[in-house]
Amino acid sequence: MEEYPDELRNPPVALISLVGCPEHHPAISSYLHSQQHPINVLALPDFSKVPVVLAKKVKDSGSEDPPGGILKRDWLLKHRTKIPALVAVLFSSLDVSGGPTQWLQVCSDLENLKAAIRPRNVKLVVVVVLQSSSAELHADGNNEDRMIALKKRAEVDSKYLLMYTPNDVSELKQSLDRLGNVFSELASAHYREEGRRIRTKVEKRGYNFPELHMRYCFKVAIYAEFRRDWNEALKFYEEAYRILRQMVGTKTRLPPIQRIVEINSVAEQLQFKISTLLLHGGKVLDAVQWFCQHNVAYRRLVRVTEAPYLHWEWMSRQFLVFAELLETSSATMQSISSFVVGGTDGTLTEWEFRPAYYYQLAATYLKKKQSSLEISLSMTDNSSEVDSSIDSVVPSTYVGQFARLLEQGDELSMQPLSDEQYVQYTLAEGKRFQDSYEIIALLKRAYESYSSLKAQRMGSTCGLEIAKEYFFLNNYVNTKQVCDDIITLYRQEGWVALIWEVLGYLRECSRKLGAVKSFIEYSLEMAALPVLPDTSITFLGFMESGPAGLPSLQQREHIQKEVMELFGKDSRDGLSAEKSTDLRLTEENPLNLEIDLVSPLRTVMLASVAFHEQMIKPSVSTLITLSLLSQLPLSIQIDKIDLQFNQPQCNFSIINKERYTSTTMISSVQKSQRMEKASSLVLTTNRWLRLTFEIKSEQSGKLECVSIIVKLGPHFSIICRAESPASMDDLPLWKFEDRVETFPTKDPTLALTGQKATQIEEPEPHVDLALVATGPALVGESFIVPVTISAKGHDVYSGELKINLVDVRGDGLFSPRETEASFLDGHHVELLGIAGAEQEGKSQGSYSNINRIQQSFGLVSIPNIKNGETWSCELEIKWHQPKPIMLFVSLGYSSQEKDSTSQKINIHKSLQIEGKIAVTINHRIMLPFRRDPLLLSMVKPFNDADQLVSLPLGESNVLIVSASNCTEIPIWVESLSIETDFISASSSCCIKPGSGPESTGSTLLVAEEEYKKVFTVKPEVDSAPLSLGIVCLRWRRDPGHHEPSTIVTTKHRLPHVNVEVPTLIVSSECPPYAVLGDPLTYFVKIQNQTPLLQELKVLLSDSQSFLMSGTHSGTVFVLPKSDHVLSYKVIPLSSGTQQLPKYSLTSSRYSAGFQPSSAASTIFVFPSKPLFKGANDRGKNLESVATI
Amino acid sequence: MIVCVAIVGHQVGNLANNPLYIQSFTDGDDALKLHHVVHCSLDVVDERVNNPKKSGPMLNETYLGLLYPTENYKVYGYLTNTKVKFISVTTDLDVKDADVRNFFRKFHAAYVDAVSNPFHVPGKKITSKTFAERISTIVKAFGLSSAG
Repeated sequence: MEEYPDELRNPPVALISLVGCPEHHPAISSYLHSQQHPINVLALPDFSKVPVVLAKKVKDSGSEDPPGGILKRDWLLKHRTKIPALVAVLFSSLDVSGGPTQWLQVCSDLENLKAAIRPRNVKLVVVVVLQSSSAELHADGNNEDRMIALKKRAEVDSKYLLMYTPNDVSELKQSLDRLGNVFSELASAHYREEGRRIRTKVEKRGYNFPELHMRYCFKVAIYAEFRRDWNEALKFYEEAYRILRQMVGTKTRLPPIQRIVEINSVAEQLQFKISTLLLHGGKVLDAVQWFCQHNVAYRRLVRVTEAPYLHWEWMSRQFLVFAELLETSSATMQSISSFVVGGTDGTLTEWEFRPAYYYQLAATYLKKKQSSLEISLSMTDNSSEVDSSIDSVVPSTYVGQFARLLEQGDELSMQPLSDEQYVQYTLAEGKRFQDSYEIIALLKRAYESYSSLKAQRMGSTCGLEIAKEYFFLNNYVNTKQVCDDIITLYRQEGWVALIWEVLGYLRECSRKLGAVKSFIEYSLEMAALPVLPDTSITFLGFMESGPAGLPSLQQREHIQKEVMELFGKDSRDGLSAEKSTDLRLTEENPLNLEIDLVSPLRTVMLASVAFHEQMIKPSVSTLITLSLLSQLPLSIQIDKIDLQFNQPQCNFSIINKERYTSTTMISSVQKSQRMEKASSLVLTTNRWLRLTFEIKSEQSGKLECVSIIVKLGPHFSIICRAESPASMDDLPLWKFEDRVETFPTKDPTLALTGQKATQIEEPEPHVDLALVATGPALVGESFIVPVTISAKGHDVYSGELKINLVDVRGDGLFSPRETEASFLDGHHVELLGIAGAEQEGKSQGSYSNINRIQQSFGLVSIPNIKNGETWSCELEIKWHQPKPIMLFVSLGYSSQEKDSTSQKINIHKSLQIEGKIAVTINHRIMLPFRRDPLLLSMVKPFNDADQLVSLPLGESNVLIVSASNCTEIPIWVESLSIETDFISASSSCCIKPGSGPESTGSTLLVAEEEYKKVFTVKPEVDSAPLSLGIVCLRWRRDPGHHEPSTIVTTKHRLPHVNVEVPTLIVSSECPPYAVLGDPLTYFVKIQNQTPLLQELKVLLSDSQSFLMSGTHSGTVFVLPKSDHVLSYKVIPLSSGTQQLPKYSLTSSRYSAGFQPSSAASTIFVFPSKPLFKGANDRGKNLESVATI
Repeated sequence: MIVCVAIVGHQVGNLANNPLYIQSFTDGDDALKLHHVVHCSLDVVDERVNNPKKSGPMLNETYLGLLYPTENYKVYGYLTNTKVKFISVTTDLDVKDADVRNFFRKFHAAYVDAVSNPFHVPGKKITSKTFAERISTIVKAFGLSSAG
């Protein structure tokens, strides 16, 4: 599009001319430019310029002569830049209303102007520039007359006589608007008149030649464009186009080639105009259809056999221009699909609305032009002559015509060319340009456009064309780059023929660039492509397959041979210099080709490895099958195969026995490896080469075959990633072929399930790990669990013992409910430590690195243990809560010294241990025998359950503490004592053990047995509540046969008590026993501790067993702080345990009654006086009984 | 005249838009070019399939119509319900739609017969000679009908 002149590319803009008063021209020009429909201004400062501008050439030739051409080259430019539609003449108001001289000057200027514009039919506008508003004010009759006179002189309508006031801002805007309106109106009128004038010519057929007819139509269209009448413009352009079509074949004075060139050029311009108008009018569909017709009409017009390249170049330009037009207008275009749907009868497709399609075709035609130009150039051998004769050829007056410019003295004259000269000229022109770059540029635009449309395949085709051009230009780097991009898609979609073609280019580029590796890669890939013998018939027609040659089996074989030669030859080989000196494999420059799972070279070499067993024991050998498959057309002799595993010590090599002697280069490193020999290692097309060997590994864990290195020739090897038969993908490309598929292994099950990896089991431990627990653990004690490790079979090195305590119930040693409790006192079960090796003093150091990560986790390193030796330690575990736990102990060690890499052997043991509470402690507080104080708190109707026990102040109370063994394990009680909490308590309360005989040493407590101890408690201060202290029971587990166990202290806190001052104390006294028939005295002593007189009612009930004397009922008064004693004499009437007559007291002040308990009023009656051994001891013993 | 016919497999997962059958009927040197033309036409098929026309009668249409014109050829497409694509390349400028439709219908029938062969593995190239002969006959018949 750029090669078109401006006047053609842009729609025409009306042109007016300003004459006179040059100082006002810029303001008016810029105003007219900025209008919505801009008007170009030809500013003529001087009246004398006008005739020059408007001068019309007098036609020298008669109308009978045929025109020299169809369209004049400069006609459009002339009307756009030189010939105005109207002339606006500016007069200063001072001149108009000035003196006679000035007026005369105005008149003569006007006359001259009128004379000049008349032949062109140019409109005239007279503008009077008012110099100042004051001048207008002074306008008088004279001025008015002058105006009228001016109008008459100018022969203009009064509305075309305008005032222009540049000085007043508001007036200026108005007068400019006025000018603009009048100018555009008149310009449009001018163009309409001109158009009509020529149209009349067309309609009256006032022409003798089709050239003129066409030219008139063109002019009408241009004039219509001037006044933006697009429809009419389009109509006449189309008409002109139609006439032009008819002119094809008519004879003129021009030689035939140049005639066609001219017609083509004009048609091109018309087509451009029509397409532009249609596209700008939004009629994309029409534009595309029109272009199709244009294309069809002119495509076959290859009449110029001498210079076909001219036609192709022209065609290419058509497509390019249309593509560019479409691209610029596609921004405003709606979606393409609406056009496609929009009523076409299926003749237009999606791509025809895309610029990419046209760019691609432009490139195609340019390519044709290039090739035909080459042919033409090759036919003209006298190139020197060509150059000299066409030096002075220039475009001539008419569109699409060329002529020689001859200098004759000062004058230049045009001399027509003969067709031969013209062809020579175009050939010379064609040689000047490198079409390839242009083609690449076009294709790149198409490629980008297709890419943006996600049309990958179209894009790839363009890419391939680009690559071909680069290849043509010997730019191999770019060719390779582009081909590498596009081949991916072809590989993915399996278009073998296309892959073949692209690979051909890649291969040649690599060869040219001297890239051995890529050359071999591409060659091998090509040779392994599924181009089968029977399908080669299909491809017989290939001529354009480029450097790849025909895709055929022969070609594949040829390519393979070429590459194999490369493998086989050495740098010393004389053959290497023969073809391409750059491509060689030497000792310094060996080549390793890697083939992974996604490589396109999998077809060249596919390695499948299958272990026959999924799991093997260490040091036990199993079978491994290696299968290789190649699709190369010729058989390959393999020199050596290396199998590499993730355990390097398992690596081994397979050597071709036949070629072993020839391949002498086995490095010393390889010598240490295992070598297997195979009778023949030949890989034939599509046939698995299966090799089965034994393999064993010492190391436990995964044994996986990583890669297979296949060595072909001295300096070339292929490294294949090993694949499992079970999960092997199909071969790319070959999977679409109808071919016999075989299994990589003979055993079909193995082919379906075989894996390239196997699991090697851990070595068996020859070590005993023993955990012993002696019964359940008791809460509070340090429970000892001995761990014994005895090596039976091999030594233990760098062993580590891991200890874990896990709650049996599975919820850890914390349970959510007890979190708070356990937070307070730590873990329920705690690993305290690991203690004690028995014999080895040196292992003392190893204890220091006990790494107690948690209270439930321990890690200890154990010393080296020789075979047959034993090592043991003890775990100390303490229970805080009765809970069963699981103890896990695991030992990890290695059986070899100084071999850090060797596998660790692990043994695990677990033991469940119950945790139990050893002793439960109870207590009981009792009042003194037959002595009952009245405590007011007991009278008050408090029935709170949590009410504290009240103790009378100053009285000796009895506290019995009992500890019972609640396990089956006998325990030894060492001591039971009460510890008071704080110092003040010792003064407020006196607690001392009972007066009974103090037991010395420990007491054995078997299951369910109780241990009791009696204390007296005498509160000394009236302070409530009173803390009694904590019972401390020190005990130890019965050691049995073992060494004595440690002493455990179990503590039990006694509840608080109230201390109260008793009001009344009733105590009854009677002898410790009675003898039948012997009278005895029975006292009831009432102590009044209050400062008040106490009234008490006494009631005594009879007893059958006793004869009693004394009052049965009565009221006694007890004075403050004094005692009152009631005494009864009773005679026992029957022997045995008898109830004394029961009395009851009722305190009227406190409304409290008292009756002694039946135990307190029980007495034993002997039938006769008992005989005691020592009369002296008797009283003492009885005394002690009574006082308890 | 039909210069090339092709069957292209559907794209499911790993399976590509690979040619199942491609046969050109020219004596000229453009067989490779026809491969390109057929391959490029898949772009148009994709576009048609992804942006189906809303109009009613096209809804269940297997015949895709003219895919795109190149400088010398016109490419027509047909898509089966199993998303197998049939492509035919003609050199004729004016071909009746009905003729092409008819051609594709026969083509489809031949394909169905070929893949119904129990020895045919779906997804692999069609190598049956009978099929090739049948296609050749259909192509010739089309040439006669369109010429006549």
